[in-house]
Amino acid sequence: MEFGRFEQDREYLNRKFQNPEFDPSTGLDNETLKHQTLALAEELTALPRPVVKARCFEFIARNMRIDVNPHDWFPAFGCYDRFDRPLTPVLDRFREEVCATKVEHRELWEALKRSGATNIWIDFDHSVPDWEAILPLGFPGILERVRTYRKKHESQGTLTPRAKAYFEGMEITYLCVLETLDRFRSLALRNADGSGRLEREAECLRQLRDGAPRDTYEALCFVYLYFMFGEYVDRMQVRSLGNLDNLLFPYFERDIASGHFSESQIRELFDYFMMQWASIDNYWGHPFYLGGTDAAGKSRINALSYLILEEFDKLSVPTPKIQLKIAANTPDRFLDQALKMIRRGNSSLVFLGEEGLRHVMTGLGMTEEDARNCDIRGCYEFAARGLHNSNETACGHLNMLKGIELVFHNGTDPGTGLAVGVGTGELDELRSFDDFYRAYTEQLAKIIEDNILCVNDFERFLDEINPANFFSATILHSLETAEDAFSRGSYYNNTTLLNAGFGSALDALAAIREFVYEKRELTLAEFREILAANWAGHEKLRRRILNSSRKYGNGDESVDRYADQLSRFIGTRINGRPNARGGIWEASAHSARQFIELGEKTGATPDGRLAGEEMSKNLSPVQGADVSGVTALIESAVSIDSGCFPGDFPLDVMLHPSAVAGDEGLAAWRTLIHTYMAHNGLAIHFNVFDAATLRDAQQHPEKYAGLQIRVCGWNVRFVELAPREQEMYIRRAERIAP
Amino acid sequence: MNDTENLESQVTGRYVEVKRFAVHDGPGIRTTLFLKGCPLSCIWCHNPETISGKPELGFHESCCIHCGECAKVCDCHSVSATEHRIDRKRCTVCGKCLDACMFGALELYGKTITPEAAAELFLRDRMFYAENGGATLSGGEPLLQSEFCARLLSLLKRDAIHCAVDTSGAVPWEAFERVLSCTDLFLYDLKSIDPVRHKEFTGCDNRLILENLQRLDATGIPIEIRMIQVPGLNMNAEEIARAADFLAARKHVSAVRLLPYHALARSKYRAVGRRDTMPEAASPSYEDLERSAAILRERGLKVIHSLELADGK
Repeated sequence: MEFGRFEQDREYLNRKFQNPEFDPSTGLDNETLKHQTLALAEELTALPRPVVKARCFEFIARNMRIDVNPHDWFPAFGCYDRFDRPLTPVLDRFREEVCATKVEHRELWEALKRSGATNIWIDFDHSVPDWEAILPLGFPGILERVRTYRKKHESQGTLTPRAKAYFEGMEITYLCVLETLDRFRSLALRNADGSGRLEREAECLRQLRDGAPRDTYEALCFVYLYFMFGEYVDRMQVRSLGNLDNLLFPYFERDIASGHFSESQIRELFDYFMMQWASIDNYWGHPFYLGGTDAAGKSRINALSYLILEEFDKLSVPTPKIQLKIAANTPDRFLDQALKMIRRGNSSLVFLGEEGLRHVMTGLGMTEEDARNCDIRGCYEFAARGLHNSNETACGHLNMLKGIELVFHNGTDPGTGLAVGVGTGELDELRSFDDFYRAYTEQLAKIIEDNILCVNDFERFLDEINPANFFSATILHSLETAEDAFSRGSYYNNTTLLNAGFGSALDALAAIREFVYEKRELTLAEFREILAANWAGHEKLRRRILNSSRKYGNGDESVDRYADQLSRFIGTRINGRPNARGGIWEASAHSARQFIELGEKTGATPDGRLAGEEMSKNLSPVQGADVSGVTALIESAVSIDSGCFPGDFPLDVMLHPSAVAGDEGLAAWRTLIHTYMAHNGLAIHFNVFDAATLRDAQQHPEKYAGLQIRVCGWNVRFVELAPREQEMYIRRAERIAP
Repeated sequence: MNDTENLESQVTGRYVEVKRFAVHDGPGIRTTLFLKGCPLSCIWCHNPETISGKPELGFHESCCIHCGECAKVCDCHSVSATEHRIDRKRCTVCGKCLDACMFGALELYGKTITPEAAAELFLRDRMFYAENGGATLSGGEPLLQSEFCARLLSLLKRDAIHCAVDTSGAVPWEAFERVLSCTDLFLYDLKSIDPVRHKEFTGCDNRLILENLQRLDATGIPIEIRMIQVPGLNMNAEEIARAADFLAARKHVSAVRLLPYHALARSKYRAVGRRDTMPEAASPSYEDLERSAAILRERGLKVIHSLELADGK
C-alpha cells in the first residue's frame, strides 16, 4: 500500500476534474459519446422512458473514457463535464416532449420568469440515497433487492407495464454499474505496474462488484462511485454524501482495532476523498454533514467527526462543504474546533440546530425520529431519511420585492408590461399603510398561486422527464410502491418554494409606512415616478431612506412585527398545499443565487435599492442594514417562527474578528449559537473579517489565495469574486464595529 | 406591579454608546453601556469621546461627501468642496445638523437616558446572557454618574442580571458605596503604580485610586484588575513588580487582565475635535505581555491577556 504521498499527488488531484486527461484508447470522446447516446435514444424511442434512459446510461458507461491513476485512490470518469453531461440532450428531448404535449401552463410559466415574479425550473437537484441502508448492500445487494421487489410485485399482481418499465430501468442500470466496476478494475490491474495502491484499488473495485464495502476505503469508494454514476452518468444531483462521521464510524473503528488501517492512513484516505469535490469545484459546493443526537439523547459526535474536520481544515478548500448538526449536548471542543476554523477564514461550515429541526419537522407531521435522523442536503436543506425517506424538489423562487412593484403598477410588471399580478386598485385608493400591506399580500398570493399551478402542472410528469433509475433503487418505499423515487415513490414527496428579498421587502414596506403614511413627505404616485426614474434627482430622499433606523435586522419591533406577519402569510399560503406528487408544498427562506438573478429583473424599490441591484438573501437583512450588532440581528430573526419555513431557515452573520477573539470570544460565540438554536433557529453561518483585511486582499490577491467568503450556503475564494462583489463585502465589513 | 415601578427616576444618565455582544467587558456575552465623562485624561485614551461630561458633536470625516446640508440648517458648519469645518466654540449640540446629514457623518455623543430606559436596553439581550453574561457599565467613568448607575443596577438586579462596573477608581468612595449592593464584579483599572508617572499619563496621581481599591477589596466583591500595557511607558519590570506586590496583598482580585495598547482611536480624537495625545508607541507583542504576566504570576496572581487567548495564528 502506498501512503504518505498526498502532497506529491495533490497536483494530480487538483487537475483531475479541472483539466482531465484520458487515454483515448479507453473509450469515446465526450462529443461522440453525446451524439451516439442521442442516436441510440432515437432508435429506442418506442420503449418506455426508464428503459431508454437505462440503455443510454449503459451506452455511456460502456463507452466513456476511464482512468485509474497511481496518483489517486479513486477512479476517473471520462464523461465528466459539469456543463455538458452526455445524457443531457436525451433528457432535454424528454422534457421538450412532455412540455409540448402535456404541460398546460407554459405561457404563464414563461411570464412569471420573464417578469422576475418567480423563477421556476424543473428540479432534479436534491436526490440523496438512503446511505445507511445501501452501504451494507453494496451495488450487487441493491440490484438483488430490486429483483426481489420485482418478483414480489409480480406475485401479488401489481407489476403493471409501468412498474415493469420502472424495474427494468433499474436492473439495466445496476447491472451496468457492476460491469463498469469490472472495467475500472481491469484498467487498474493493467496500470498497476507494481503499484501497491492500484492493486489495492483493483481489489476494492472487485469487492464492490461482488458485494458490500468492508473497510473505510471501500466505503469511501462506494460513496464516491455512487456520486459519480449518479451525477455524471444518470444525471441526477446527489446532494449529500451523507453523515460521514456516523455512517463510516463502524468501518473506522474496525479498521483501527484490527490494524487494517492506521489512523494516519485513514486521514490520508479522507484527504483524497475530499479532494475529489475540491477538484470538481462547483460554485455551489458539495455537502456532507457531521454530528447529531442518538435516540438516547447522546451526542453523535465521535472520533471520526474530529478527524474529518481536522483533515478538511488542513486542505483549506471551499468545497466540499460541511454541515454540522448541533444541539445543547454537542461537545464544546467540537464546536470550538469548527469556530476556530471559521475565525481563520476557513468558513465552509454551517450549523444546523437540532431543536429547530424537531420544531419544524414535527410541525409538518413527521416524527421526532424523522427529525433526529434527518439528512442535511444541499446548502442547509433538510429532509427525512431511511424508511420515511423524503425527496424534496425546489420549484420556484418567489421575488418578495416584485409584489411591491406590482402594487405600484396595479398588477402589471413595470419592466416587461406583463400582467402577472392582480388589480389592487389605483394608488390613491390605498389610504393607509394597512391598505398598502393588504394589496402587497394580494400580489404575493397571486404569484404564489401561479407558481403552484405551474409547478403542479409539470411535476405530474417528473418520472417521464427524468426517470430516477439509479436513485429509486436505493429507496425502499419506492420499491414497495413501484413508483419513481424522485417523483412519487419516496415516503414524503415534497416541493419547496424558495424566496429572495425577504429583508429588502420588509425595509421597503417600512420606508413606505414611514415616508408616505407617517411623515407624509410624498404620495405613492410620486414615489412611483421616483422609482421609475431609478431615483434620478432624488438622491437625498434615497439617502434618508437608507439611513432610516427602521430596518429589518436591528431588533426594531416596529419592523420585526412585519417579519413575523409576512412569514405567517407566506407559510399559510404555501405550507401543506398538495403538490402533484402526493406530497405537500413547503415554504423556504433560502435564496440560493436568486437574490442576484431576481434582483436583475426588479426595478428600483422603496427601500432605497437601485434598479437591478441584488436584494437581500435568506432571512438576512439587506447587506449592511443590520447596524445594531449580532444580538439584535438574531433578535430580529427569531421574531419569526421557523415553523413558517419548513423548507429552510438560514441566517447569515458577519462578525468582526475582535468580537470572537480569544477563548472568551469562542465561549461567547458558542453561547450565541446555542441561543439562536434554543429559539428554534435552524441554520446559521458566519463570515469573520475586518474591512482592512478584505481591502488588502483586494489589492494583494497573491497574499490571500486561501481567504474564503461564505456566500449563501456555499463558499468562494474572495480573490475570485468580481470587484463589485468584493466591494459589497468590504462595505458590509466596514459597518460591523470592532 | 408595585408603586416604585411607576415612578420614573429623576436622575438621568448621559452616554455615548450601547455595545451589544460585548465579549471583553466581563464574563460571557454582555451588553456594555459607555457613560460620558471621566476624571482622568489618559494620553492613550481610546474612547476620547467619553472624556468630557458634556454632549459633543462627533464628525466622521470619511463619511462626509461635502453636500452642505448641515450648513443649511446650522451656521456652525462651513462646508466647501474640500473642507468641512465645525465651529465647536459656538456649537451647542442642538442636534439639527444630525437630522440633516444623510451620510452618517455626524453623531451625537452624550444622549440622555433614564435608568428605566437603559435597563430596557440591557434586558433586550437577556436571552444571550446564559449563565455568566450580563450587563457592564463602562465609560468614561461610570461612577461619575453613580446615582444613575445605582438606580440602573438595582433595576437590573430585580431581573437577576449579572452586573459589572468598569471603573478607573478615581472617584470619591461614596460613589462606590452607592453601587456596592448591586454589583457582582468590578473591572478596575490600574494604569501605573507610581503616583508621579500616573499623574504624567492621566493628569492625576493614583492615591485615591489605590485607597479605593483597598476599601473595595474589603467588601469581598470580586475585582478584575485591568492594566493597559504601553511599550516604553508603563511596562518596565520594576513598576510591574511594585504593582504586583500591591495587588498580591489584596484578597479579592480574581484576575489581572493585561490590555495591549493600540493606536486605533486616532480618528475618534479628530471626530470630537480633541488634540490627539495617543503615544507613538507600537502595540506590545505576545512576548512583551508575557514578560509583565510572568512578574504578576510570580506573586500568585492569575493573569489573562488577549494575545494569549488568540488562536495562536
